[in-house]
Amino acid sequence: MVLADLGRRIRNAIGKLGQATIINEEELDAMLKEVCTALIESDVHIRLVAQLKNNVKKEMNFDDMIGGVNKRRLIQKTVFQELLKLLDPGVSQFVPQKGKPNVIMFVGLQGSGKTTTCTKMAYYYQKKGWKTCLICADTFRAGAFDQLKQNATKARIPFYGSYSEMDPVVIAAEGVEKFKKDNFEIIIVDTSGRHKQEASLFEEMLQVSNAVNPNNVVFVMDASIGQACEAQARAFGETVDVGSVIITKLDSHAKGGGALSAVAVTKSPVIFIGTGEHIDDFEVFKPKSFVQKLLGMGDIAGLVDM
Amino acid sequence: WFSAFKGLVGNKKLTADDMAPVLEKMKENLILKNVAAEPADQICQSVAKKLDGKVISTFSRVNSEVKEAVRESLTQLLTPRRRVDILRDVAHAKSEDRPYVIVFCGVNGVGKSTNLAKITFWLNENGHKVLIAAGDTFRAGAVEQLRTHTKHLNALHPNSVQLYEQGYGKDAAELAKAAIAIAQERKIDVVLVDTAGRMQDNEPLMRALSKLIRMNKPDLTLFVGEALVGNEAVDQLVRFNQALADHTSPGEKPLLIDGMVLTKFDTIDDKVGAAISMTYITGQPIVFVGCGQTYKDLRNLNVSAVVNAILK
Ligand SMILES: Nc1nc2c(ncn2[C@@H]2O[C@H](COP(=O)(O)OP(=O)(O)OP(=O)(O)O)[C@@H](O)[C@H]2O)c(=O)[nH]1
Ligand SMILES: Nc1nc2c(ncn2[C@@H]2O[C@H](COP(=O)(O)OP(=O)(O)OP(=O)(O)O)[C@@H](O)[C@H]2O)c(=O)[nH]1
Ligand SMILES: [Mg+2]
Ligand SMILES: [Mg+2]
Repeated sequence: MVLADLGRRIRNAIGKLGQATIINEEELDAMLKEVCTALIESDVHIRLVAQLKNNVKKEMNFDDMIGGVNKRRLIQKTVFQELLKLLDPGVSQFVPQKGKPNVIMFVGLQGSGKTTTCTKMAYYYQKKGWKTCLICADTFRAGAFDQLKQNATKARIPFYGSYSEMDPVVIAAEGVEKFKKDNFEIIIVDTSGRHKQEASLFEEMLQVSNAVNPNNVVFVMDASIGQACEAQARAFGETVDVGSVIITKLDSHAKGGGALSAVAVTKSPVIFIGTGEHIDDFEVFKPKSFVQKLLGMGDIAGLVDM
Repeated sequence: WFSAFKGLVGNKKLTADDMAPVLEKMKENLILKNVAAEPADQICQSVAKKLDGKVISTFSRVNSEVKEAVRESLTQLLTPRRRVDILRDVAHAKSEDRPYVIVFCGVNGVGKSTNLAKITFWLNENGHKVLIAAGDTFRAGAVEQLRTHTKHLNALHPNSVQLYEQGYGKDAAELAKAAIAIAQERKIDVVLVDTAGRMQDNEPLMRALSKLIRMNKPDLTLFVGEALVGNEAVDQLVRFNQALADHTSPGEKPLLIDGMVLTKFDTIDDKVGAAISMTYITGQPIVFVGCGQTYKDLRNLNVSAVVNAILK
């Protein structure tokens, strides 16, 4: 399972606490160290790891603790809540509305999987009976329109794009206008890959966003990303109104922790994950039940109000 | 982070205990710079071993001792034991009346096709004609992507690039073989074989890649990896090499990864650690660094700049 290795290691670390007869600060530190190592080796941003550690320690002030408190349960609960924070920013996620145009714009770094994921999402909603379409607003990458066109054709999803128009803002605006007129419900706009270091690319993203006025902006992250994720995700989030995250390529060995930094800094939940190159390698993601599973909630059930 | 060294006392032999907190800080810094955990740990251990028992006289010596030891070990890691000189080897192949063949491989979306196009441009600049083999017969748009590049590249150096393609769904190993035969026939200097991106633990796809390499015996197999990659770099390279080694017939010399292309170097600021992770695993050189999306955005690795960024 996705992120499973991370879950196993954290579970083990917490489990060790259960075996200790008395829990003192030393015990807690040892456990936290193991949890943090597991997080770091899964590429969670090192600052977020430090934050988690501090928060747990702050919560577990041994000096202030009244006697009789069940430290073990308290520690488990605190660690769980901090982990949940990594995966679930606690904001309600975007829900598309039936019978209305829902414009969803995809953004992200080069090669993260936007174009592939656009089709997956369109296909997902189409299967559920929504009127769905795709727009290719990537005029930069060689073969980008062909890629989207071939994907869309195979999945029988209506699409819009151009071989001659070079301005992605124009294409995006025209496409959205056309599909709105035709009463489409899920209108997905694919954009070029970009990175914060190239200001003109970010400016272009902002212009596309202003032109189509999206109901949701999806930030697509590759599961294998390391420590650079945080700064990139932050920059994307500060430029456009990111509302959701999708983590792709979770079919690899990658533990996906780096991509989780995107959740923390954009305050946006992971809504889907990509688990392969094929159109149905796509799963709905539910952070809470995921963390539950991750931590083997059999042991911890009842600790947290879900 | 060098302020951490203040904890060390001067005028004594350095012991493991003295160094532990310092090395811990050092490891944290390496990880912050996106070095994978395993190599970060190994580098620190080797520095610890090197400095163990060393007599340190003054406080300032400690700082420089440690810093130098890290610098030395990073520099050594990044400095190739064996230089890959493609232009020399292309000339050599030419003297043998055969095309020089490079295969590009790696996981999905890292920049194989784009950097293949950049390398084509570089070869064109150096007067070589290139045949691109469209060996990604799977991903939507992969063939059209290379067709577009071929068109653009020919506009820059007329008649310098040809594309060999069979559309989608074909066997990449056979396709590459046919491409090499055509290059031989048409006296084209270099064949660059693009391949589909694949996850390192996808058995059938990894087997198909080793088949391609075994069948065509390229002069150079380049692993393309992005500078954005974190701990996953380790598993990618270990498994790509493992797959290539596993499928070697007995008695044959295994054809493994000969070098790396480190892409998207323009997207990571000072988090340059992937360069360390990749060379640490393979012991092979980073032959090119991709630092942008245009044909000119191809560089050699600047070892001291990378080391400085990490130690900053
Ligand atoms: N194994 C695997 N591969 C994926 C997944 N999602 C996307 N890919 C692959 O990743 C590569 C890049 O995907 P694209 O959809 O082209 O990425 P992009 O973000 O649109 O790229 P640019 O438009 O160039 O920025 C392709 O080879 C896809 O097939 C996934 O979940 N698993
Ligand atoms: N910023 C930046 N982007 C790059 C670099 N190299 C490639 N890219 C971009 O990364 C994205 C993916 O590049 P591709 O060449 O299609 O990657 P690939 O490895 O061939 O992908 P698949 O064939 O789908 O596995 C494209 O948007 C490229 O423009 C680089 O050095 N810097
Ligand atoms: Mg795309
Ligand atoms: Mg490619």
